[in-house]
Amino acid sequence: MSVSTPVLGIAVLIYMMVICYIGWIGYKRTKSTDDYMLAGRKVNPFVLAFSYGATFISTAAIIGFGGYAGAFGMGVLWLVFLNIFVGIFIAFVFFGSRTRTMGMNLNAVTFPELLGRRFQSRFIQGFSGGLIAIFMPLYAGSVLIGGARFIETALGIEYNVAVLILAIIVAAYVITGGLIAIMYTDALQGALMFIGMSILLVITYINLGGITAAHQALTNMDPLVPENLAAIGHTGWTSMPAFGSDTWWILVSTIILGVGIGVLAQPQLAVRFMTVRSNRSLKRAVFSGGPFIFMMAGVAYIVGALSNVYFLNTRGMISLEAAGGNIDRIIPEYINSAMPDFFVVFFMLTLLAAAMSTLSSQFHTMGTSFGHDLYREYIKRGKIGKTINITKAAIAVTIVASVTLAYVLPPGIIARATAVFFGLCAAAFLPMYTGALFWKRMTREGAIASLLVGSFSSLFWLMFVNGRTATDIGISKMLFGTNTILTGTWTVVDPIIVATPLAIIVAIVVSLMTKPTPKEHLDLCFKK
Amino acid sequence: MLGIDDPYIWIAYILCFISAIGCMIYGAIKWNDGLDDEDVE
Repeated sequence: MSVSTPVLGIAVLIYMMVICYIGWIGYKRTKSTDDYMLAGRKVNPFVLAFSYGATFISTAAIIGFGGYAGAFGMGVLWLVFLNIFVGIFIAFVFFGSRTRTMGMNLNAVTFPELLGRRFQSRFIQGFSGGLIAIFMPLYAGSVLIGGARFIETALGIEYNVAVLILAIIVAAYVITGGLIAIMYTDALQGALMFIGMSILLVITYINLGGITAAHQALTNMDPLVPENLAAIGHTGWTSMPAFGSDTWWILVSTIILGVGIGVLAQPQLAVRFMTVRSNRSLKRAVFSGGPFIFMMAGVAYIVGALSNVYFLNTRGMISLEAAGGNIDRIIPEYINSAMPDFFVVFFMLTLLAAAMSTLSSQFHTMGTSFGHDLYREYIKRGKIGKTINITKAAIAVTIVASVTLAYVLPPGIIARATAVFFGLCAAAFLPMYTGALFWKRMTREGAIASLLVGSFSSLFWLMFVNGRTATDIGISKMLFGTNTILTGTWTVVDPIIVATPLAIIVAIVVSLMTKPTPKEHLDLCFKK
Repeated sequence: MLGIDDPYIWIAYILCFISAIGCMIYGAIKWNDGLDDEDVE
């Protein structure tokens, strides 16, 4: 680390103080259930856009996927395009406005509650809440590990202590200040991230002699692709992997489709559509949301790929080699070597902000899913205590679960957690959520069938077919003595390719075979 | 194009810019679109 620890320590301290102050304001402003669960349904469009973006983009997206671009090249830019076009434009304009209106009509305060009330089923609410409460701690655990590793390397604090410090600070403002505190701290963190990534892009292009020159230099590096990567389809950093190769399948199915489409059904993001006062706010949020995602994901991937040129010029090696073969080390190594000292401090804060903004929303969503949706509404049938108090207790429980996972799970499983969670959401929730908003003929039975088929087929694929996850989880090995029950290309295909279409077919067939939803209920749901 | 030979990559690169700028144009055009009863402060 080229920057002195005290300077960074002071910067982190000031940053933390500001975050705590915003958390305190959130606490003072929280008076009702709507305040705690949905930030009072009157959030400013800029705050919505930055909060949505900052929640969406975690440290893993910048370091992990940026490093992936460093190793495998610019093909991952398709994900950026989908993130902006699907994740912002389609999400806000089409899904957002209907979600907001229906959420108001049905007085829903969480994503599972919206689905449950649209289909008049407490089971849907409870099962969805349970699914989120069980699997989101994996995703939160991985973000927690990322943030704690940052504190460990940057400030020299022991890893196990760093996990606790980070969890306690985020827990403090999430539990006390609810979604108001979360969204306003997110917006501040988002602004920090925006500035940090902008500087990173500009300095990188200037250092490499301009946009076209930098890309041309990268294109000229094609012959330097290592043999072992070329064997699995790597053709260069400015070209797509060989069609149908393992690298191509992972890029297209898991990364581009899994994350690019899966984002639509992320509970912690969908709930944000219900936080604004009007559909006009959602349209205004598109204005800042698009450029924000571009500056986060787009910059991380472009810079990640171009780091190869920098390392070739300065050390005569490709990025993966400069990072000692560890993809996750590419971006940090590049920042430390190529950027001026003042920026290294700033970028460290950017990464901390990215981790905290994602973590805070995960804690809130896990808590509301577990406390409100599963326990209060499904198990207790809405007949116990106040939502706020139960949710606060549930947030504490799920945080303990995430922290425990951050300590006990091997790195192998944790690294896959983001993709696993996105894939599961795409299969379990996306067909049901889309039908809820756009297809009046979809019935309760169709929704339940789609939810169950989507969840279990996705989990089955992850445990028994997908090579990476099945090997890490090890159940297939235990039961059948083999890592995966299918072989060849199937093992690199993401569950989204199989489970989501299956859930869509089941939703349509079962809905058409069952009695339509009563007109009065549909009128209430779709009231303008 | 832009120092990138593979059209699948430079198309993606340009689409990223177009979609981000498109979002800004859409947001600007729709800035005052639609009225909402609650939209008063």
